[in-house]
Amino acid sequence: MTDDMLAALVRPDKVHKRVYTDPAIFDLEMERIFGQAWIYVGHASQVPKPGDYWTALIGREPVVMVRDRDGAIRVLYNRCPHKGAKLVADGCGHAGPLFRCPYHAWTFTLDGRLRGVPFRQGYADTGFSLDDPEFSMRPVARVAERRGFVFCSLAEDGPGLEDYLGGALASIDNFADRAPEGEVEVAGGVMRVMQQSNWKIFFENLNDTGHPQATHESSFAAARRTVREKLGGKTPFQLHIIEGNGEPNSFWESLELRCYDHGHSYMDAIFNAPTDAISLEYRDQLVAAHGAERAQAILSMNRHNTIIYPSCSPHTGFQQLRVIRPVSIDRTLVEIFTFRLKGTSDAFFQRTISYTNIVNSPSSTVMVDDVEVYRRCQEGMASDGGDWISQHRMAGHDTPFEGGVLGAGISEVPMRNQFRAWSAYMGPANIGKAAA
Amino acid sequence: MIADPLLTHAAADYLFREAELLDGRRWEEWDALFAEDGMYWVPLRHDQQDPFNHASLFYEDAILRDVRRRRLEEKHAWSQQPVTRTAHIVGNVRIVAQDGAGLRVRSAFQITEWRQGRDQRQLAGHYTHDLVGAGPDDWRIALKRVDLINCDGIQDPYEVFL
Ligand code: FES
Ligand SMILES: [Fe+2]
Repeated sequence: MTDDMLAALVRPDKVHKRVYTDPAIFDLEMERIFGQAWIYVGHASQVPKPGDYWTALIGREPVVMVRDRDGAIRVLYNRCPHKGAKLVADGCGHAGPLFRCPYHAWTFTLDGRLRGVPFRQGYADTGFSLDDPEFSMRPVARVAERRGFVFCSLAEDGPGLEDYLGGALASIDNFADRAPEGEVEVAGGVMRVMQQSNWKIFFENLNDTGHPQATHESSFAAARRTVREKLGGKTPFQLHIIEGNGEPNSFWESLELRCYDHGHSYMDAIFNAPTDAISLEYRDQLVAAHGAERAQAILSMNRHNTIIYPSCSPHTGFQQLRVIRPVSIDRTLVEIFTFRLKGTSDAFFQRTISYTNIVNSPSSTVMVDDVEVYRRCQEGMASDGGDWISQHRMAGHDTPFEGGVLGAGISEVPMRNQFRAWSAYMGPANIGKAAA
Repeated sequence: MIADPLLTHAAADYLFREAELLDGRRWEEWDALFAEDGMYWVPLRHDQQDPFNHASLFYEDAILRDVRRRRLEEKHAWSQQPVTRTAHIVGNVRIVAQDGAGLRVRSAFQITEWRQGRDQRQLAGHYTHDLVGAGPDDWRIALKRVDLINCDGIQDPYEVFL
């Protein structure tokens, strides 16, 4: 595909369906976007002790995030330099003081350097050397951490993590600031859901204010009937988070959609801070830790999904992080993590668990309809019924600011903003820049 | 323990009847099997200790079960067009504990699940039913725990009760 052809797929108010359906484009995305951007790997709390590891996919590259003896976090390709075996099994575990390959027992220090091989005499006069990096585990080009959230880039150059995140950085800081101790930790397990659709469809949905009323009608209508017929008009917390999608047009129109360079954005929160006893106790803990003014500032940064393009989405209000791993042109794995705010009660954490069970679980009565419409998009796009995907809603009404663009309520500006980043990555300037 | 064979037979019959209600999409009658504060739980990991400090695939009380069953009947439940069809097989039914208040029944299950236009899928695992009540006619479910063999794997969405 020539660069002119690629460029012609994205217009200011529409995109060609090929960006979602052409496997050759997926290949290019893995190279030019996932091979260059800062991609979320995992959280430092998942590897508390030296030797602890956690595996992740960065585009197509399996990597292992490991805590080194000196306390630093390394991110290495999960590949043995001997015959290529994946060194550790997918998931999490403890490597001990050294990585040891299951195949021929080559061993590596936790920063990936080859430490020893059996049958040393067989390597005399062969060109093999313990010190040659060719025989060590390869580290990824760049690793950076912010408040325990670890990102990596497979490219040697490009902006640093903080510049890259721009205004989305505040969502990560706010996530950790919400903890009275200023730190969060992964807790409560990880859910994995496979979606039969392109990864970009998921990202576009995160700040799509036009869909909740239509897509989620079945769940909020059912919740409302339960409230009316069984609960005498009282809405408990669990149904409140289902019902949120049923707000009227005027509500969605009033939200702010703030977009940043490199594809990031967020939408205003759709839930007000609850005022039950557990929430009030939490508020008191935050005030005790930070003072009333600072606590108020932290809680008033109340963002619904933040898009950290192209790999994850934190929901700071309920301490969730969804991580997006593209598998193929029409399959996307979503991993859902819950976090504990250090210094809060079990009861407060159980609210986080409850939210993930109800809204993010594969059995969610909310999310199933999202997953269904994503799949219908994927199937419909593959048809001959038309070539273009509309992003016209409030096109031409975006307000640029330094580092991004601002849109109102029901605008499709988050999608247009993502394709602005997409074009920049996929454009001619980036050809061949990805790490070899 | 070796339970009274007639009681084991009655417990098995109870589970078969429950499976029939689920396969028939008779949600309201199914839900009526539960005690008032009965819980329906599908853990996310093997040997999960509790549903409070760890995420679950399902953890539903009467209110959440009510919302789920109503949603399945909603006209605009997009992911139920067409509906999910299931066939449950329940076997290896054993009473593993019994006291004055009720009994705990363990069983194995297989579910074949299908929606038109989608791949048919197989689900399997173990049920643990905590039944309360004086006798078979009176039994209500205090807790139904469903341990899927792939609970910690990569999932496609779940819509109906397992
Ligand atoms: S493949 Fe790793 S030691 Fe041989
Ligand atoms: Fe949605």
